[in-house]
Amino acid sequence: MSDPVSQILQLVTSTYFLEIVVFPGLISIAILGAFFTWFERKLTARVQLRIGPSYSSPVGGILQGFADIIKLLFKELIIPEGADRFFFIMSPVTALIIGAALLGLIPFAPGVQIANVEVGLPAFLAIVTLSPTIVLLAGWSANSKFPFIGGLRALFQQTAYEIPLWLSALGVVMITGTLNLTGIVQFQQNNGWLILPQALGALLFIVTSTAEMERLPFDLPEAESEIMMGWQAEYPGPLFMLVQGPAFIKLYAFAALFSTLYLGGYLGPAIIPPIVWFFLKTIVIIVAIMLFRSTFPRVRLDQLLRQGWTTLLTLSIVNIVIAYFIVVGVPAI
Amino acid sequence: MVSQGIPEETGYIIFLFVATLALVITLRLVISPRDPRPTPEKRAPFESGQIASGPGRTRFIIQYYPYILMFVVYDVIAMFLFAWALDLRSLGAAGTVPILTFMVVALVPLAYALHLAGQRENW
Amino acid sequence: MTDLTFLALATVTVASSILALEARDLVYGAAALGISFLGIAGLFFLLDASYIGAFQIAVYIGAVVVLILFTVMLVGPQLGEPPLELKRLSLLIALLVSLLLGTAGSLTSAAAFPGPDNCGAGCDLTRLSSTLINQYGVPLEFLSLVLAAAVIGALTLAKADRKQ
Repeated sequence: MSDPVSQILQLVTSTYFLEIVVFPGLISIAILGAFFTWFERKLTARVQLRIGPSYSSPVGGILQGFADIIKLLFKELIIPEGADRFFFIMSPVTALIIGAALLGLIPFAPGVQIANVEVGLPAFLAIVTLSPTIVLLAGWSANSKFPFIGGLRALFQQTAYEIPLWLSALGVVMITGTLNLTGIVQFQQNNGWLILPQALGALLFIVTSTAEMERLPFDLPEAESEIMMGWQAEYPGPLFMLVQGPAFIKLYAFAALFSTLYLGGYLGPAIIPPIVWFFLKTIVIIVAIMLFRSTFPRVRLDQLLRQGWTTLLTLSIVNIVIAYFIVVGVPAI
Repeated sequence: MVSQGIPEETGYIIFLFVATLALVITLRLVISPRDPRPTPEKRAPFESGQIASGPGRTRFIIQYYPYILMFVVYDVIAMFLFAWALDLRSLGAAGTVPILTFMVVALVPLAYALHLAGQRENW
Repeated sequence: MTDLTFLALATVTVASSILALEARDLVYGAAALGISFLGIAGLFFLLDASYIGAFQIAVYIGAVVVLILFTVMLVGPQLGEPPLELKRLSLLIALLVSLLLGTAGSLTSAAAFPGPDNCGAGCDLTRLSSTLINQYGVPLEFLSLVLAAAVIGALTLAKADRKQ
């Protein structure tokens, strides 16, 4: 085994390192996070017949996200009394790492993927399963009533919708027979996009992932009119930026996974390069999820949990049965 | 990445490590708790204007505790379901029978849990 | 490269599990437990058992640690027990036990546990799937009974607590 230092040097100067850091790695993730902040506000504004952010640059205020980052960095960092400093700061940091970890698994184009892990799909969903823990710790660490209630609500909500998320992705595994995300895209190259046989599964996936991301109509843990931003309430300037960032990165990651599983990822006629296809599909899904926010009212907590554990779980089992008959064939019972 | 002799999983771990390192370094340079003029009002918990009283972590939502218990069990069940789903094409109908009984047995407590959750006086 | 990764993972796992046992604040202990599970998941990935590694993260860290954290927060802000004065004695005992286990482990050769299906290079995930269903179908049924009993028992306990 060669000297670890020379191995590290070799790694740092390789193209893989460039891939990690720049694209589709960390810097592009950060830029996309800031971009989507602006995108959501502009889209929501247009739906509500407003103009939205327009001051930060001549072109429709597109630099709003970056302006926000600079503003938040200059704010005072006040940690509430009696708060647990370590978890207060580490929770949003860990959430950001989780967001980056999710994006590292997605195939953006043939060959452009940070880690083509053999068990890509369960790995993605497993990392998503880590977020209830982080939010619980974030809410607990602030030592204040609003954040704590918000953290508990987030915990129950995310664990309730985790199982239907797993089971709706199960339908894709049944049909393609592989857990590898690139393999799933290649399957769709030969057999057509999976959204047709798995329409129910795709619908369930979008609904459960919206609940996982705590977006409207499932944003009870962050309910601005109820508990004042919930578990994010006590987070001061720079840390608030760290808390908002992972929300948008998770949105991008879930939309990217949806387009990989159901819309064929980077596949498309060769007129446009594959990576542009990928972004187009992902943006369509992101716009759809953002439009949920302007359309549906907020769901109450007990209704939400009940629906998650009864209706959505039943529907995802129905989806599994449908996928079973697609794979095995109807006569063979 | 495999072309450089690094297996995919290790590459992923390296990516995570680099991400963590970059984030921590950036944070250390950019953010440090700085509060030049701390006052008791600033550091008090935020409660929309009223003065906070009592300890901060009091309001527990215990009634949904069974949902977390169920989550643990159904997460394990999901693991077995994924194992079954992988080879569905060759297992076919004959291979599904064990999983079918597995699922039926595992779903009975779910019905019981929902029955309990429906009786609001228990929680 | 594998050696460096293994050393890093092993250090993280052992250090965080020591922290999990010794931490005075139980929330820190539970979080350290989560980190040690993460180290174990990394070790699974190194051993080429990526399926188990992914589900280790999902089930252990995602579900069990959440349950432990919630329960710890419920029980209240009590400090853990004060450190014992017998610190040196316990360290010696820990050393002896680990030596004993290590010796026993090295004496057990691979031939002592002949697997029914020692696949070499042909091992892949579909093999895992078919082996699980075909060869281990009956244990699977017993497992479902155990899981069902666990859920029903937990629900009954939780219900009985409230009905005072």
